[in-house]
Amino acid sequence: MPGSADAELIRKLQARDPDALVAVYDRYGQLAYSLFVRITRDEGTAEDLVQELFLRVWSHASEFNAERGALGVWILSIARHMAIDHMRSAQARFSTRLRSIEQTDHPCFSYRTEEAESAIDRARAVKEAFSNLSGDQKRVLELAYFEGCSQSEIAQKLNEPLGTVKSWMRSGLERLRNVAKRGAGK
Amino acid sequence: MTHPEMNELYELYALGTLEPELAAEIERHLADQCEYCWGRLQEATVLAAAMAGIAEPKTPSKSLRQRVLAIGGGTQRSRGWLFAVVGLSAACAVLLAFSIWSGGQVHALEDRMNGLTRERNELRSALEILSRSDTRTVQFGRADTPHGRVFVNRNRGLVFVGSQLPALATDRTYELWLVPTSGAPRPAGLFQPNARGDSVNVSPVPVNPAEIAAVAVSVEPRQGSSAPTTKPFLVVPLG
Repeated sequence: MPGSADAELIRKLQARDPDALVAVYDRYGQLAYSLFVRITRDEGTAEDLVQELFLRVWSHASEFNAERGALGVWILSIARHMAIDHMRSAQARFSTRLRSIEQTDHPCFSYRTEEAESAIDRARAVKEAFSNLSGDQKRVLELAYFEGCSQSEIAQKLNEPLGTVKSWMRSGLERLRNVAKRGAGK
Repeated sequence: MTHPEMNELYELYALGTLEPELAAEIERHLADQCEYCWGRLQEATVLAAAMAGIAEPKTPSKSLRQRVLAIGGGTQRSRGWLFAVVGLSAACAVLLAFSIWSGGQVHALEDRMNGLTRERNELRSALEILSRSDTRTVQFGRADTPHGRVFVNRNRGLVFVGSQLPALATDRTYELWLVPTSGAPRPAGLFQPNARGDSVNVSPVPVNPAEIAAVAVSVEPRQGSSAPTTKPFLVVPLG
């Protein structure tokens, strides 16, 4: 079912159709895996995390609202949280989590279906826009996105004034935001 | 703080990287059902998810797809401890066929098959705990030391998954303990890691998170102990 929309996939997941889970994997698996590899720097760990991620998708399937979609946004958001949690947990020997957004009915994930369908296209557009950012903008956004660092932590890591870091981040995010908005309007 | 002032903060909030005092400001608006803030947060969440595209594309192994297929009950074989259930089922069938062929060894093989069946049932219990949405996951350890995860479900029990556990003397075993917020640790099962130091142990005892503060592992005599006789070498806080 390569052309199925997220909403259709959600309905099939809720009907416990294993092919739907594989279709979701085929749609988002590589992106999630790439994200896990980038954050954990370990392919074996990344594969385990992908497996755990899709176990969560399978477990939470009944809670998704097919009319609202947002499956891709949920998967990619949870993937990042899982990877950063994994890294922090490995460093601290116990679980320290980012703000939890795992609930599928969290208002963050209440999109119109057509928006959820374009999660992959939007990721491609953001990737292209990111490649055009300055080196400083890339560095601060990578630290925030891949390592979960706050602005003050980034300023400390880079030994740069907090105001400069905020400025790089603000301008970088603004460019990505504009691209993401244009993508949503397709 | 006004909305224009907050406008550039939603993405950081969605990424979970906003400074706590600023995050609290946004949360006050969200708690008041501020429509503007909810709308911006949704946009920010979409962007945060799309930023996954920044990661350099990597191609997972083909076996990963099979592991995912197995989650949904697909028929292809996969590697990984979670799917040992499938492998063990196949092993049971092979052992059954072999025991018919070799009548003289029937009893020994039956014993072994019973052991495998028990192990398969235990892994099925693990799968049951892992697949429930109310199961919590707590990780422990670093990659180069004993490490793993504890999956805790209030009603179904817990699954302890450990890696790189040190080998034990033949007269010793690892024992898992539930450490209550007050009172003595309660035994939660014995286990022996395999040659690589990996172990999956299922304890089908309800775990009330209000009462249990941590899971611990100690080295005990082979038959196990009713109270730890050595200092636990692993303590995993559940809070």
